[in-house]
Amino acid sequence: MKNVIEVRNLTKAYKELRAVDDLSFEVHEGEILGLLGPNGSGKSTTINCLLSLLQFESGHIRIFGKEMTPDAYDLKAQIGVVFQDVAVFEELTVYDNIDYFCGLYIGDKNTRKAYVRDAIALTGLEEFVKFYPKQLSGGLLRRLNIACGIAHKPKLIFLDEPTVAVDPQSRNNILDGIRILREQGATIVYTTHYMEEVEILCDRIIILDKGRVIASGTNEELKELTDIEEKVTVEVDRISQEQLAQIKALEHVKEVTNSKNVVSIVYREGEDHFGKLLAFLGKEKIRYHKIYSERPTLNDVFLELTGKELRD
Amino acid sequence: MLVFRTYFKILTKYKGIVILYTVILLCFAVFNMQTSDNSTNFTASRPDVYVENKDEEGALAGLLCDYIKEHAEVKGPEDLKDTEGVSDALFYRQVNYTVEIPENFSEDFLAGERPDIVVRSIGDYQAAYMEMQLERFLQTASLYQKAGMEEKQLIKQIKETLKETVEVELKSSVDKEGLSKGAFFYNFANYSLLAGCVYAIAVALSSFRRDCIRRRANVSPINNLRYNLQLLLANGVFAFALWAFYVLISFVMVKDVMFTKQGLLFIANSFVFALCALSVGFLIGNLTTNKEALGGIINVVALGSSFLCGAFVPVQWLPDAVLKIAHILPSYWYIQNNERIAKLETVEPAAIKPLLVNGAVVLGFAALFVAVTNVLAKRGRQRRV
Amino acid sequence: MFFHHFKYTLKYLFRNRLLIFWTYAFPIILGALFYLAFSDIEKNEKMDLIDIAIVEEVSDEQGSGLPEGAVSTEQENGSLEEVSADQGSGPPEGAIPTNRELLLETMEKLSDEDSEDRLFRTVYVSEKEAEKLLEKGKISGYLLAGGETPKVVVKESGINETIFRQAVGETMQNAKLVAALTEAEIERQKKEAAEVPVDVETVSEKILREIQEEQASIRDTTGSNLSYTMIEYYTLIAMACLYCATIGMYAVNCILANMSKKGMRISVSPVKKGRLVLGSLCASYVVQLLGLALLFIFTIFVLKVDYGPHMPRVILLALAGSFAGLSMGIAAGALIQANETAKTGMIIAVTMLGCFLSGMMGITMKYVIDKNMPVLNKVNPAAMITDGLYALYYYNTFHRYWFNVGSLLVFSAVMIGISFFALRRQRYQSL
Repeated sequence: MKNVIEVRNLTKAYKELRAVDDLSFEVHEGEILGLLGPNGSGKSTTINCLLSLLQFESGHIRIFGKEMTPDAYDLKAQIGVVFQDVAVFEELTVYDNIDYFCGLYIGDKNTRKAYVRDAIALTGLEEFVKFYPKQLSGGLLRRLNIACGIAHKPKLIFLDEPTVAVDPQSRNNILDGIRILREQGATIVYTTHYMEEVEILCDRIIILDKGRVIASGTNEELKELTDIEEKVTVEVDRISQEQLAQIKALEHVKEVTNSKNVVSIVYREGEDHFGKLLAFLGKEKIRYHKIYSERPTLNDVFLELTGKELRD
Repeated sequence: MLVFRTYFKILTKYKGIVILYTVILLCFAVFNMQTSDNSTNFTASRPDVYVENKDEEGALAGLLCDYIKEHAEVKGPEDLKDTEGVSDALFYRQVNYTVEIPENFSEDFLAGERPDIVVRSIGDYQAAYMEMQLERFLQTASLYQKAGMEEKQLIKQIKETLKETVEVELKSSVDKEGLSKGAFFYNFANYSLLAGCVYAIAVALSSFRRDCIRRRANVSPINNLRYNLQLLLANGVFAFALWAFYVLISFVMVKDVMFTKQGLLFIANSFVFALCALSVGFLIGNLTTNKEALGGIINVVALGSSFLCGAFVPVQWLPDAVLKIAHILPSYWYIQNNERIAKLETVEPAAIKPLLVNGAVVLGFAALFVAVTNVLAKRGRQRRV
Repeated sequence: MFFHHFKYTLKYLFRNRLLIFWTYAFPIILGALFYLAFSDIEKNEKMDLIDIAIVEEVSDEQGSGLPEGAVSTEQENGSLEEVSADQGSGPPEGAIPTNRELLLETMEKLSDEDSEDRLFRTVYVSEKEAEKLLEKGKISGYLLAGGETPKVVVKESGINETIFRQAVGETMQNAKLVAALTEAEIERQKKEAAEVPVDVETVSEKILREIQEEQASIRDTTGSNLSYTMIEYYTLIAMACLYCATIGMYAVNCILANMSKKGMRISVSPVKKGRLVLGSLCASYVVQLLGLALLFIFTIFVLKVDYGPHMPRVILLALAGSFAGLSMGIAAGALIQANETAKTGMIIAVTMLGCFLSGMMGITMKYVIDKNMPVLNKVNPAAMITDGLYALYYYNTFHRYWFNVGSLLVFSAVMIGISFFALRRQRYQSL
C-alpha cells in the first residue's frame, strides 16, 4: 500500500509546551485515517504543520513522496483542507465563497463551474447559494466550510473537527459526504474527539495525547488493546455493599462500580455474563428496571491507556 | 465595578498602541508650538527678502535697497547664486520674497521709463507686506519723477515722504505674547484630546460592543444605564489621564503663563473640554466597531472640528459664515474661551461670566452626547437581540 | 488566477461598506470643511470691520508740526490702494485742510457705512473714554489726532492693529506726497504763465488722480501662487493617498494565515503569495482610485478648486501617492506581527505623523523638517506628495516634481518588495 503522508519525528513547541512531541505516522492511499484525541492533544497543530502553515522544531514531512514546504505548490494543489474554525469571507455569498476558494486551485472556468456545483450538491447547500455566511445556521455554515475545502476535488483531504457543534442531522449529512469523497478516491485525514464518528467512519485510527501517538490501528485492533470484553449495566432499586462484593467475586469480573443504584460491571473475558448476572440478581431478589450489555468503546481504550476520559 | 476593571484589562492589552498614540499627539502639540509662527502680526517679524541689485551704480536702486533693508532682513546674491538657488530658497521658505532690480534701473527710471522690478513671492502675509512696501516706493518715485524732479531732489523727496510714519503706543499690562501662546497650545488640545479619546475609547469599547459580548451583557441582570455609566467612568479615567498629561506638558512649554490666573482658567477650560471629548469618544465607540473605518472617523471629527473652529488657524482668519456653522460644535465654544482668556486683562467676576457660559455650553454638549449614546445603546440592544 | 483573486478581493472590499464609506467620505468632508474655513482667508477686503476710536481734541496750535508744505487740498486721498478707488470725485468746496484734517477725513471715509471699502467702525470720543474702551477690549485701538503728530494707541499687535496703523501711516505719506507734488506743479505753472492765478484745487485734484492711477512696475515671476487653501487641499490629497494604507492592509490581512481563518485556507492553496499580494494590491488600488476620482470631482466641480495648468501632473502625483500609501499598508500588514486593531492603530498613527511632518497642521513644520532633518521627509511619503505638488509652483523646471514621483515609486517598490520577501515561504510560529 502506498503512503500518501509520511511524518517522521515531528516536534513542535509553543514556548515551554510541547504540542507535538516526536510524532511519527503515515497515511495510506485511499483510507480514512482518524486522528483521535482530547482537546489540546495536538491534532490541529499536527495538521497545520503538515500543511506548512506552522514552523516546527524538527522532523520530516513527506506528502505524495515529496518534502512538504510552503512553496510546494504542486503538492498543495492536490490537498484540500477543512479547518476547525469556519474560514470563509463574511463579505461574499455562499456561491462566491466556494467559487473563490475553488478558483485558487482550478483555473478553467467551465471546470470550476461544474466543480462548484458538485460541491454544493455534496453539501446540500443548493437553496442557500445566494446567502451570506451571517445568514446561515451553525450546521449550514459547517457545510459551507467543507464545501470551500473540497470543491476542487483534492486527492488528499484534511478534515479538522468538521462536525463540532453540529446537530445530528447535519452531522450525518457531513459524514455521508465524507464517505462519498472516499468512494471518489480521496485519502482523508479526519480529526475529532468524537470517538463514535471515528468508529463508524475510519479505516484506521491514531490516538494522540500530549502530542504523542499512544495507540494506532483499526477499530478492532485498538479494542484488542484493552482487556475488557464486555460491560454490563444494571439499574436496580436497591443494592447492598455485600451484594456488590458478591458480584465482584463472580467469574471474569474485573470491576464493579455503583453510582446511585446504577451498577456497571466490567468483564475481562469469558462468555454468557448476562445469564450469570441475571441468575445472581434473581437469587438475591434484587429488583431491576433495565439491564444492557455493551462492547468496549474507544473511550474505554483511551481511559485504559491514559487514565482519563476522552471528552473532558 | 466589574465592567470598569474589565475595561482597563482590555485597554492594557492595547497599551502599546495607546501610548504610541498619546506620545504622537503630544509631540504634535509640542512641535507645533516650537515651529509655528503663531503671531498674527505681520510687522512683528520682518520678512526675509532676497535682493539682487543689477544696477549697483544707480542712486535710486541704492535707495530702494536701503528702503527694503529698513523693512526686511535682506539676503544678498552671495547667499544664493543661480535661479535654482532662488527657487530653492523660496521653496524652503528661507526667503519670503525676492526682488531683482534690473540693469540701468536708475538711469532708465529717471529717463521716464519704468523698468520692471522682477519679484517672486511665496504668497504669505509677510510677502504681501513686502510687496505693499515695494509698490509704495515705486509709486512715490514715479510720481516725483513725473513731476520733473532731478535725481538728488527725487531721492530726498522719496526719503522724506516714506519716512512719514505714525507713532504707535502699545498699551498692555499683561503678557499678551505668552497668553496667546498659551491659547495656541490649548487650542491644539482640541485635536489631541479628541483624536486621543476617540481612538482609545473606540478601540477599548469595540471589544465590549462585539455582538456576542453585547448579548451576554444584555442577558445579564446588570442595568443598561449602569453598565454604560461604568464604561463611561472607565473611559473618563483614561480621558483624565490624557488631559492631565497635556496640562503637565503645558507647564513645560508655556510655564510663565501657567502660573498666572489665566493659566488656571486655561486648565479649567480644557478640563471641561476633556469631558466633552470623552463623551464624543464614547458616542463614536458605541456607534462603530469597524476598526478600519476608525481612521476616517478620527480625521473627520478631530481634524474637521479643529480646522472649522480655529484650532490650527487663528480664529480671526475664519470667515463669519464658518464660525456660525462652528457654533454647533463644542470645539467652537472651547476655542472661543481660550481666545477670551488670552485677552483677559484682569480676572474678575464680570470678565469670567462669559467664560462660564461657554463652558456650560460645552458641558451641555457632553450631556447631549451621553444621552444620545444611551438612547442608541438601548435601541441597538432591542434590535440586535 | 490573478484576475480571479483580484475580482473577489474587489467584491470583498466593496462589501465592507463602513470602510469604503469613510475612506471615500473623509477627504470629501474635510475638503468641504477646508472650503468653508479657508474660502475667505485670502480676501483681505472681506475682513471684519475693525472697531477703533478717534480722539479729535485739538491741542493749542492747530495743525502745527505737520510738514510745512501743507498746501491746500480739499481732496483727501486714499490710503490703501483699494480704498482710494472710488474717491476721485466730489471734493468739498473751499476748505483748506491741514494734514490733520486730511487724516480725519480719510478715517471718516474708511468708516463710511455706505462705502464698500469700509474698514473701520469708528467712534469719536475723548481720550479718557478711548482708553477705557481699549481697556475693555471694545476697540482695537485709537487714534490721537490732536497732538503735534498723530499717534496710534493699541493694546496688542494683531492683524487689526497692524491694519489700523498701516492705514494711518499711509494717509500721512500720501499727504506729504500730495503736498510736495502740488508745490512742484504750482512752481511749474507759475514759471509757464506767471500772470494766471494758480488754481490749487484743480492741481491737487489732478495730482490725486495721478496717485491713484500710478501703477508700480512690478513683474511677478512666481508663476501661479501657492495659496494657503491650495496647500490645504494638497495636504488633503496627500492624506487621502496615505489613508488607503488601511485598505491595503485590510486586503492583505485576508490572505495571511495568522490574521484570518480564510487566510489559512488561502495559504494552503497552490497559489504563490506574490500573485495574491499583487491581486490584492490591484483590487485595493481600484478601490482607492475610485475614491480619488470622487475627491477630484468633488473638489473641482463642487468646491470649484482650481488646480491650474498642472492638473494632469497633480493627478499623476496623486496616483503615485496612492500607490505608495497602498504598498505601505500592505507592507505593514505583512510585517507587523500583531492583531488587526494594533495594525490599524499603527497605520493611522504613522499616517498622521507623516501628514503632520509634511505640514498638514501648519506648513512651517515641513520646512523645519526640510531644514533640520531632511532625511525624514525624504522617506516620508506624505512629504514626497506635498513636496512634489509645491514644486510645481516654485520651479520653472519639473526636475523636482519628477524626482518626487520617482521617490514615491521607489518607496512603493521597496514596500512591495519587503512584503513579498516577508510573505515568501512564510511559516508561522503560532496561528
